[in-house]
Amino acid sequence: MNQADVSKLVSKLRIKVKAEHRNLRNPKGPEGRIDKLRKTVTGLIKFERIEVNYNRGDEARQYAERLISEAIRHGDCHTPTMKMADFWLLEKELVHKLFKVLVPRFENSNVSFTKMYKAPKPQYSRNLEKAVLELRGNPYPDLFTKQPNNRLWIQNVLLEAAKHDYRQSKYAEIAQNMAKNEEPTQVNSEAPKSEIIEDIKTQ
Amino acid sequence: MKRHITYLSKTLNANGYTKCLPLSRFISTQEAVERRNHIFSLEKKRQIEQVGRIEKIEVRYKGIPKDTTFIMNKDLSTPYDCTKHLGQWYMESSALAVLDGSVYWDMHRPLTESCTLELQHFKVSEPQQVNKAFWRTCSLVLGACATNAFKTSVPVILHSFPQPDIRSGSFIYDVDLPSLPDWQPTHQELVTLGAEYVKFIRQNHALERLEVSAALAQEMFVDNEHKTAQIPSIARTNGKVTVYRVGDHVDISKGPLISNTSQIGRASITSVHKLTGSSESGVKQLYRFQGVALPTGVVLNHFAFSILTDRAKKLNSARSPLGPDIFGKKEDDMEVQQSAAAKA
Repeated sequence: MNQADVSKLVSKLRIKVKAEHRNLRNPKGPEGRIDKLRKTVTGLIKFERIEVNYNRGDEARQYAERLISEAIRHGDCHTPTMKMADFWLLEKELVHKLFKVLVPRFENSNVSFTKMYKAPKPQYSRNLEKAVLELRGNPYPDLFTKQPNNRLWIQNVLLEAAKHDYRQSKYAEIAQNMAKNEEPTQVNSEAPKSEIIEDIKTQ
Repeated sequence: MKRHITYLSKTLNANGYTKCLPLSRFISTQEAVERRNHIFSLEKKRQIEQVGRIEKIEVRYKGIPKDTTFIMNKDLSTPYDCTKHLGQWYMESSALAVLDGSVYWDMHRPLTESCTLELQHFKVSEPQQVNKAFWRTCSLVLGACATNAFKTSVPVILHSFPQPDIRSGSFIYDVDLPSLPDWQPTHQELVTLGAEYVKFIRQNHALERLEVSAALAQEMFVDNEHKTAQIPSIARTNGKVTVYRVGDHVDISKGPLISNTSQIGRASITSVHKLTGSSESGVKQLYRFQGVALPTGVVLNHFAFSILTDRAKKLNSARSPLGPDIFGKKEDDMEVQQSAAAKA
């Protein structure tokens, strides 16, 4: 068993990687595909949040994750890593950003470095699916805001009061029914009571 | 030739005409509204001119996007003017200003001294005061709507609206309709009233505030016997009456109110109830207009809103100006006692 442990040779990505790559059809063939992906990876590192077609975004995401994890693993004094960064980042000042900004940012993280959301598109259109690809810890506001709820908001106050009102009327009704049932016979006064209590519980 | 509006009534007074010719008998509701609006404009202009030399004050704004300091004009600049420096979102969404962390201030009320400023909208973490201001504004606008909605042949005399009570489920305006002794509004009439209300809101009127002397307030509301009767007790503390203008409708309110009618979103007028009783001023009956509304931007599904409208159809139990014992509160008490007895 002298087979090398794969996880030590290649850094394990924290995203799901498809078994087959996507071809991203274009006139130049595989080379054109790599060109497209280089542009997208450069854009992602530069702007930190981009909107792209889903397939291209998902493909580029894998390369970007790999690039950042290599940079974290080996640092900036490692020739193959530097070559890789030089290849993938078309604007050379982004190499500095990769090692001086992104590596410290993601050094201690234990989740993926990027995030991808499905972007909205017109309902009955034949457009390609869009996605938003972003680096974690970017300076922009969140795309999804948490929906806070406050019971002091006017609509909640109104609904709460309506609920209280409804309950009071129900209690009064139940009390009246009980009074009616008690009057004629005292023998079977137990049965309706328990029914009523069940009713309240189910409500 | 510029003359104050009171000039007219002064000459009338001097000639002793008012005794034999009470003004109220000769003007329709619409004319009275225009006259009141005109007096308001003149008084506002006078107060602005009275400021004289413009002094600067320092307003320290706290909140998003960042804390800043504005140099504003004393007695002229309002919190609304401050929001103009912040952005359109702040202009549209701010409903109420808080000065020095405790004083609630109308958005259109001039600032009088250096202070800190915070802005409140309907989704702040503690919105009680904004909600109250909203409810009060809804009542005031309901008064305006009631004045507009009827034909000119039906005199509409606004009486008053009580303190805002949101938990009661509806905002109220008590209106005197002397020519309609026994009016039961049909569903269609209520829908029309609601439509008038929404039409009025959609005109996006700012709510302007003005403090006037009791004498001028009397002059403004000379056609409205209920308001003239109320003014002395309102002005008892400092001799001033706070009036608000929305569109061309002027009304008395203690305030504070929200910034603009565009901040009232979904609204409906749910019912009109007749109040009977007798008070010292000799009013026999009033109509209590009730409605329910939500601020702009609050999305509530139709079922939940129908619960609110159904509840707002019931007579609001706020104290009536015609005496406390007209609601059959005794009956309610009886019911409560009965149920308590049954529970025991």
